[in-house]
Amino acid sequence: MAAAMKAGLGWLGLRAAGAVLRAAAPAGVVVPVRTKKKKPSVPEWARELSPEEKEKRLRALVARMPEDRMERMFYMASTADIIDPYVPPEGDARLTSLSKDGVVQKMQKLKQTAASQLALRKIKDHDLDFSTKTFPEKAQEIFIEAHNCLANFNKQKLHSLVTERCYPEMVRGNRYKTIRWKFVESLEPPRVVHVRCESVMNRGNLYGQVTVRMHTRQILAIYDRFGRLMYGGEQVPKDVLEYVVFEKYLVNPYGTWRMHGKIVPEWAPPKDPIVKTVLIPGPTLEPSQEYEEMK
Amino acid sequence: MAARWAAGAGNACVRGLLGWARPERWLAASSLFPLSCIHTSCTALQQIGKWEKKNRIVYPPQLPGEPRRPAEIYHCRREIKYSKDKMWYLAKLIKGMSIDQALAQLEFSDKKGAKVIKEVLLEAQELAVKKHNVEFKSNLHIAESLTGRGRYTKRIRYHAKGMFGIMKIVRCHYFVKLVEGPPPPPEPPKTGFDQAKEYVQQLRSRTLVNTL
Repeated sequence: MAAAMKAGLGWLGLRAAGAVLRAAAPAGVVVPVRTKKKKPSVPEWARELSPEEKEKRLRALVARMPEDRMERMFYMASTADIIDPYVPPEGDARLTSLSKDGVVQKMQKLKQTAASQLALRKIKDHDLDFSTKTFPEKAQEIFIEAHNCLANFNKQKLHSLVTERCYPEMVRGNRYKTIRWKFVESLEPPRVVHVRCESVMNRGNLYGQVTVRMHTRQILAIYDRFGRLMYGGEQVPKDVLEYVVFEKYLVNPYGTWRMHGKIVPEWAPPKDPIVKTVLIPGPTLEPSQEYEEMK
Repeated sequence: MAARWAAGAGNACVRGLLGWARPERWLAASSLFPLSCIHTSCTALQQIGKWEKKNRIVYPPQLPGEPRRPAEIYHCRREIKYSKDKMWYLAKLIKGMSIDQALAQLEFSDKKGAKVIKEVLLEAQELAVKKHNVEFKSNLHIAESLTGRGRYTKRIRYHAKGMFGIMKIVRCHYFVKLVEGPPPPPEPPKTGFDQAKEYVQQLRSRTLVNTL
C-alpha cells in the first residue's frame, strides 16, 4: 500500500501533492472549537409575553418526540348505531284501511315530526338530488341487491351496499351455510318514515340516516353445511314488515346511501322456530340429589 | 464470547420482538387516537392441517326427494405426548362404536391416552352440536379413528461409565371422524357355507382358452 501511495504521489508530481496537502490544512490557522451552548436569551419584544406564550414558543423549538408521530389515522365511513331510532306505531300493517285507525295510520306524513323536517333540510343541503318521493324506490333496490349479494357471497359488492356496522350483523355465522333468498313482490309501496342527521366526533362531520318502511313478500331458505334445510322453505313466501335504516356520509362527495340496520319493534310477531330441537341445559345436580327434589 | 453473545441475543429475543420499545409510554402520551389493535397474527406461518380443512367443505343444498345426508365432523389433536403405537390400541378399540359407548370404555381404561382421547371426543361432540347443526349429541358414531406420528425430538440419555444413548421424545396426533346416526351393524363372521359358495362361484367363472 505504501508503494502504491508513493507511486500515486509520483504520478501527481511532488509539488502538486504538496499544494493539495497545504490547501487541506493550511499552516498557522486555529481550528475553531465549539463554545458552550448558552440558553437563547429572551429578546426585548418577547419579554412582556405571558408564561403560556413563553411555554408555547419553547415547545415549538423543542424537537418533536417520536411518540407524537405514532398517531394512527382512521376514517369513519359509518356511525356505530342508529341515531334516535324510530318507534313504529303499534299494530302497523295489522289494521285494514277500512277502519278509521287504519286510515289515520296510512295518512301519517313526515311533516308531523319537526326533527325529521330539520334533518331533511340538512340532507337536502348536502345532497341536492334527495327527495322523499324518489328515495324509497332506490332504497328498495339497494335492499334487494344487498340481500342477493348476501345469498351469493359477493363480499366486494356487499361492502359497497351495506355499512360497516350492518355487515357483520348480516354475515355472521353464514360462512359454511347456503342461503337462498328471493324477493317476490312489494305489498305496499315503500315510504320514508323517519329522517335524522347527526355529526359524530367533530362538528360538521354529518351522517344522514333515513328509515324506510317496507311491506314485502320474501322467500328465505337456509341450508347448513351438508345441504339440509335449517330454516324457512323455498316454496313458502312470507309477508314481512320491516323498517330499514339507510345511512350516508354527507360530507364525503363520493358517499352513497347504504343499508345501516333494521328496527325490530317489540310487538313484532315471533319468528318461526328452527327445524332442529335444541337442548337447554338444566341445573347442575349433586350426586345425591334428584331432579324432582330440586323442583 | 460467541456463546455469551448468542445468550445475550437470545435474551433480547425472549423479551419480545420490540423489546427496545415500550408501548405503555406511547399510549400514555398519545392523544385522541391511541395505538391500539394493530392487527398482527402469525397464522400465515402456522400450517392448517388437512384434517382440519375437511370441516370446511360445503355441500350444495339437497333436493326434496334425496335421503338426508348424515353430518360428518372431523376433529383432531396434535402433538400429544404419547406413542402412536400405544395410542393405536385405543383408537382401534373405539372404531365403530357409538359415542356414548366409546366415552364409557375410555373412562374406565387404564391407559394414559384414554384421557386424551376422551377429551377429544367431548370437544368434537360439542363442536358438532354448536357449529355443524347436529340435533342430538348422542346420535353420533365414530366412523374413523386414526393415529399419526408427531414430531420426534432427540435427547441424550445418560448411562453409567460415561456412556450415553440418544433417546427419542415421541409424540403423536389423534384424528377422529364422527358421523351422525346409529353405528353401522358389525359384519357377520364368514361361515363355512359362504366360503363354499365363493369357491363354487370361482370355479364357475373360469373361462376356457384355446379350445373349441
